[in-house]
Amino acid sequence: MAEAKKVVIVVSEGTFDKAMMSLMIGNTAASMGMEVHIFHTFFGLSLLKKGANPKAPGMYRLFTGMFKKRMLAVGVEAYEAQKKMALELGVNMYACSTTMSIMHVKEEELDKGVKLLGAAAFLDIAADSDMQYFIG
Amino acid sequence: MNKDESLDCKGLMCPMPIVKLAKKMKEMQVGKVLELVADDPGSKEDVPAWCSRTGNELAEMRQEGKAFYFYIRKKAA
Repeated sequence: MAEAKKVVIVVSEGTFDKAMMSLMIGNTAASMGMEVHIFHTFFGLSLLKKGANPKAPGMYRLFTGMFKKRMLAVGVEAYEAQKKMALELGVNMYACSTTMSIMHVKEEELDKGVKLLGAAAFLDIAADSDMQYFIG
Repeated sequence: MNKDESLDCKGLMCPMPIVKLAKKMKEMQVGKVLELVADDPGSKEDVPAWCSRTGNELAEMRQEGKAFYFYIRKKAA
């Protein structure tokens, strides 16, 4: 087996689709033995709040419940459960410290296990990563 | 093909079969064979990719109707 690949993902939106995409990629990568780092910035930060319940974007917002039901029917649980799974799988979840200050989000509002980072620390992780995804 | 353990992922779509497969394989001993049944059409490509990426052996794979049967021998610790 080759050395573990390192995946970095940036999430800048807090809608249901972006949220699910980040964790479907992240949880799969972690299940493949990869090292995963997900950085949440701007509207993506809200996903790290305890009990986050993202809605589908724009006018699709009204259909969020239907999307969730259809995903659950094929075994894909809601975002909150996926997030719990990610933390259990050892996925590194980061909150952008500047966004926290802009959005007035306090550390105690975030899930346990979430780490606070600035851009330099994130770039240091990203600099020797093998794959980079921007979801926003 | 002989199997030591079995995992039924019928009705589950990506990424759940892979997440469950990884979890199950973690609990198994090296050399043991897991039978994984999945009907996600993506699993036909996903499971072989998982095996080669994680260093486990896909000993056999067959299709019955819409279901894929994978026999995976644990190689990596």
